[in-house]
Order: sequence, then C-alpha cells, then structure tokens
Amino acid sequence: MTNYGLVIDQERCIGCQACAVSCKQENNVPMGQFWNRVLTEGGDKIDTPSGGYPDDGGSGSLDMQYQPTACQHCENAPCVKVCPVNATYTRDDGIVEIDYDKCIGCRYCMAACPYNARVFNWDEPEHMPEAGTGDVAARPQGVVEKCTFCSHRVDEGLDPACVVNCPADARIFGDLDDEGSTVSKYINEYETDQLLEDRGTNPKTHYISGEMSPGRPQTSDKMESELDDVSPWSDGAEDVPAEASESDSSGSGGSHHSIEGDAAPHVPAVGSGGDD
Amino acid sequence: MAADTSRIAIPAFGTKGKLWLGLLATVIVAGLAAWGYQLTTGLVATGMRNVFSWGLYIMMFVLFVGLSAGGLIISSAPKFFHSHRYEGFARLGVLVSLACITVAGLLILPDIGRPERLYQFFTSPDFRSPMVWDFGIVILYGVLNLWYLWLLTRRDLAARGSPLALGVDDTDAGRERDRTLMFWTAALALPTAVALHSVTGWIFATQIGRGDWFSPLVAPVFIAKALVSGLGLLLVVSVLADRLTNYEVDREELTSLGKILGVFLALHVVYLLAAERLPHAWANHFEFWAITSGFLIGESVYFWLWTVVGGAVPLVMLMIPSLRKRVSVIFTASLLAVFGTMFEGVRLVFTGYEVANIDLPPGISLGGEYAGITTDIWATAGAYTPTLVEVVVTLGIVAFGALIVTLGLKYVPIQRVDGQYATDGGTKERQ
Ligand code: SF4
Ligand code: SF4
Repeated sequence: MTNYGLVIDQERCIGCQACAVSCKQENNVPMGQFWNRVLTEGGDKIDTPSGGYPDDGGSGSLDMQYQPTACQHCENAPCVKVCPVNATYTRDDGIVEIDYDKCIGCRYCMAACPYNARVFNWDEPEHMPEAGTGDVAARPQGVVEKCTFCSHRVDEGLDPACVVNCPADARIFGDLDDEGSTVSKYINEYETDQLLEDRGTNPKTHYISGEMSPGRPQTSDKMESELDDVSPWSDGAEDVPAEASESDSSGSGGSHHSIEGDAAPHVPAVGSGGDD
Repeated sequence: MAADTSRIAIPAFGTKGKLWLGLLATVIVAGLAAWGYQLTTGLVATGMRNVFSWGLYIMMFVLFVGLSAGGLIISSAPKFFHSHRYEGFARLGVLVSLACITVAGLLILPDIGRPERLYQFFTSPDFRSPMVWDFGIVILYGVLNLWYLWLLTRRDLAARGSPLALGVDDTDAGRERDRTLMFWTAALALPTAVALHSVTGWIFATQIGRGDWFSPLVAPVFIAKALVSGLGLLLVVSVLADRLTNYEVDREELTSLGKILGVFLALHVVYLLAAERLPHAWANHFEFWAITSGFLIGESVYFWLWTVVGGAVPLVMLMIPSLRKRVSVIFTASLLAVFGTMFEGVRLVFTGYEVANIDLPPGISLGGEYAGITTDIWATAGAYTPTLVEVVVTLGIVAFGALIVTLGLKYVPIQRVDGQYATDGGTKERQ
C-alpha cells in the first residue's frame, strides 16, 4: 500500500518561505490564513537567532534554525478520530483530508490537533486576486481547512507544490511503504525526528537535523523510479542526468507529467516553474 | 383522587410575572437577532480565532451540562431507594434539569460553523468521536427529563383536566402503575446522568494536544462539579420560587440539602482538586515549600474565582452550624457554588488554548482581523475575550431556559401536597 510521507531537512532549509508562499498560492488559501508556516527556532521573532554575538574574540552563541510546519499527516491522527461526521478522514494513501461539503465547523479537530495545523474560515474567505489562485476550489465560510499534501497534484503524479518549489531541496515527498523511495532511505540513513513525538500521533512528516542530506539532486522531468542510476547519496553534481538539459525547453509544465505504470508521483520538470 | 394532591406554583401571572415574561422575551429576541447577525457575518463576530477556537459557548455548555445534573439526581436518587425524602424538590428538580439540558444543547448551535449541516450527525457519524457520544447522551438525557417530569405530574395534570395530561386518566390504579414506572425511570436516570457528565468530560480528557485536558481525572471531576453546581442551582431556584411564587420549600429538607452541598463542595473543590494538583506540584518542584506553593497557588484569576469564591467561601458558610440553617446563607452559598463552577469551565477551556504546543515565531495564523490584543495575523499563544454578540446569544439561550422553568411553574403542578409518596417497583419484583 502507498503511504505518503514527507521528509524535511532542517539542515538544508534556508528559511526562504518559498514553501509557505507556494502552498498558499497553489491551494488558494484565504487571506489571513496559512496552511504551511516556516517557523524560526531561535529568537523571539521570525528570522532572529538566539544567543549573542561573539565578543572579545570569543565564538559567540548565535543559533537559529527553521522548522517548516504544516499538517503532519499523522498515522494516529486525533483530528480524524474526533471528527463527529467523518468530514476529516485518512485516505487509502495515508493523506489526511477534509471533505469540505461535510464539515459542520464544530472545530473539535482544531482542539484535537497538537500542531495547530488547522485553520477555520471565520468569515467569508477573501482571496487575492478575487478569482483565487492555484488549482484548488475555494472553501466556504464556516469550515476547517488544512494542508492536503496537495492531494490534487499527487493524484496526477506530481509532488506537492511546496516540495517542487523548495529551492534548497529541503523537502522530499514519497511513499513511506516503499523501501526504495527517497523518503524511506533518508529516514533510515539520517537522524530524523517527528514533531511532538511524545503525543503518540506518529506523524508522517519527518525532520532531518544534525547531518545534512544531499537533498534531491534530480532535476530531470523523469520519475524517480526511472532514475535508479542516480544515487541520492552522492553530493549531487555528477548525478544530474543528461536529459535534464533537454527538458529545459518545455516551459509549459503539466504535459510531461504523465505517470507510467504505478510509479509513485515525483518530481515535475524544471520547466514547470518550481525548481528553476 | 382529589385535585388537591398537588399545587401549581404560579396560578396566574401578576404584573411582576408579566414584566418578567416580557424581560425574558426581550432577551430571547435579542439573542436570536445576535445569532442571526453571527450567521451572516460568520464566527468572526465572536472572540474566537484559530489558536483559541472554542470560547464562551463551549464554556457555558460545560456549565449547563453540569447544572442539569442536580435536579434529576435529587429527585431520582430517593425514588430509586424507595424513599420519599426531598419529595418537595422532585418535580422542581426535574424541571430545572430539563431547562438546563435544553440550554446546554442549544448552546452548541451558535458554536457550529455550518449549523445547516448538523443532520450529518445522523447520516455520517463517526463513533470514535466523543462528540458523537455526547450528542447522543445529551439528547437521551433531555428526552428522559421530559418523560420523567411528565410521569411525575401526569396524574395530577389529569386531575386538573389539563391537556398536558395527553389523555391519561387520573385513577388509583394508574397512580400505582406510575410509581413502578418512576422507580424504573429513576433507575435509568442515575446511570444516564453519570454517563452524561463523564462523556462531556471525555470530550476534553481524550485530547493529548491540549495541556491539562488530557487527564483521567476530568470525568470524575465533571461528575463532582455537576453535583455541586446542579444542587446549588436547584437550591437557588427553590428559594426563589418559594419567595416569589406559591411553591413552598420545606425548611428541613432545604437545610439537609444545604449540608449535602457542603459535602459535595468538599469532595470537589478540596479533595479532587488536591488529587489533581499534588502529583504535578510534586513532580515539578524540588524544595518542600516550592512543592507546597505549587500545590496551593493557582495560576489564573479563574482558578481563584472558582476555588475561593465558588469553593472555600460557600464551604465555610455551610460548615458553620449556626449559619447553615439560615435560608439566606444556604441561598448565598448555593449561588456562589454555581458562580464558581462557571469559572471552572472557563479555566478548563483556557488551559487548553492559552499555550500552543509549538509556539515558535511567527506563530499560528489567526484567520481574521483580530480584534483583541495583537494587531497582525500571527499569534504564538491563545487569547480570548468574548464579544458582545457571544454574550447576547448566550444570554438569550439562558433566558429561554428561564422561560421553560417559569412556564413549568405555571402549567405543571410542581409540588405535591399530600406528603408520603414513595416509589414502588423494585421491591415488588423481589417479593
Ligand atoms: S497534524 Fe493535526 S491536522 Fe494534521 S493529521 Fe495530525 S492531528 Fe490531524
Ligand atoms: S470542524 Fe469539520 S472537520 Fe473538524 S471535527 Fe468538526 S466537522 Fe470534522
């Protein structure tokens, strides 16, 4: 069975907010709401470190890291268990999703989510531009919404928007049940944490910290399954397949994302407006 | 059977009565208008936002579920044990319970973002959700109260020729049968009441994500709280009814129930609270005095309002023998107990939402022009002040509860006047 998960390499993350912004745009997230937030671990404010400057030739103690945070797509998701009307449910592929036509807006799921990943449409959602953005229909007033791992893209064989738009290759999406997927390999190879592990929610989002992963060196429009010769363990440069340069010309995006067989959805091409 | 076995508390509304009804009607209409306004603007009209996503409605829901306990328990417990103790409170108690559970149920409506979809509870319920359990038990409890009130009074209603008897006749055999039914209803009412308060507690106690909510003690505390506040409210209402209507409280029973309230208060505010706080205080502090103060000193003003104004003060009032016989003292102590319990619910919701588990900057998007302290869309902690809209909607619903009690006093023979009236049934089976 497919069981989608996300690996976020906090060592690679540069705190640029590209994932937060592309999420907002792709999913037509209303003004005043965020599904995906890049939090600063360090000082009291965004982009501020903790600690002090080096003085008198000392080394200083400045410290800062970023923690991109969205719905963790918990295995034992409390939001799914509390939803009285089955509006929040876990898909067969492990994605936790909300049926916006069913949600009664009781907000029990917001109480249940330990990560504050959910937002509620307190009034008629506003969009800029008014017609909305991205590929997802607007949600009405009075329902709860949140990150869907871009299920509409995944269904088409594409990675979530935040993954393709991360310029630091800090986000890797894939099938946790497939031993050979990059996410599985990284979870085995690197030291990874889940947020608030002690709550027993068993999130499908894993954070790498400590040693930096090579990220996602693929820049080809080929599926990962076709890139077997590309080793994610090397430092990248020589792994870029030759085809990569050829695909640069296809600027439209979309057309070359067809899935072959049951391949797991993966990297769209350079030309799709993400990685370039 | 003669018609004088019972008494109606309000034979007819006088000037004051009409003024009271007018006041209630005004508040109800204002509440409806405020709800209408909230429906058109959305819940942005409330003080709730993404971090603090439940507010006054849920706090008051918790209070009124608790308040609905007292009456039913006071009238059904003696009936279950074939005693006619507190008979004078039996009908009034069930009436008050019915009003409170109605208020509690109605308070959920304005909290729901899309109330028109509530039918989903029937078409697509998830039985893992404590809210589904609570939905079921609140409805069951409401129906049970309605049935019980009717059962207690239907023969008297029939004797008076009231259409509310719904065609039941006043016969000796019928009254006999009703006593059996009352026993079985009482037998059902007690576990239902326990289930109601436990399940309402479990809505919170099952949540690992919300601070102190996740505690096995929440359900027992909800039961103790229901006993305190429910009995407190029943005493308040009975004293008021005694002063303002033809209803008469039996002084001796009142004093006795006052003592029981003292016991409930001791169990709830002293014992259970200590049991809840001591382990945390012990684990978090090292020095003896640090442990002691961590144990004794609460964290918020709600804590003090609840434990001192609503706990210690009424407890002392009810403990001093020279004081506790006075109706005014019982009345004040009961009122304080109800008032204090309100802040327990408030505190519970605050402990869940005040602190975000992940409070890194910039924080969580609030999702609406936040009218409170912060000015941008981000928050790293929960803050909440109810808006006027929430207050008016809540008052409107509470006024509806008061209307139920008032009309009950007018149309239902709320008091028996012939004394002895024990239930029958359980013993018969055993004979
Ligand atoms: S992170 Fe929150 S919203 Fe997402 S699955 Fe877990 S509990 Fe549900
Ligand atoms: S707010 Fe909607 S999704 Fe959340 S628990 Fe209630 S019905 Fe389910």
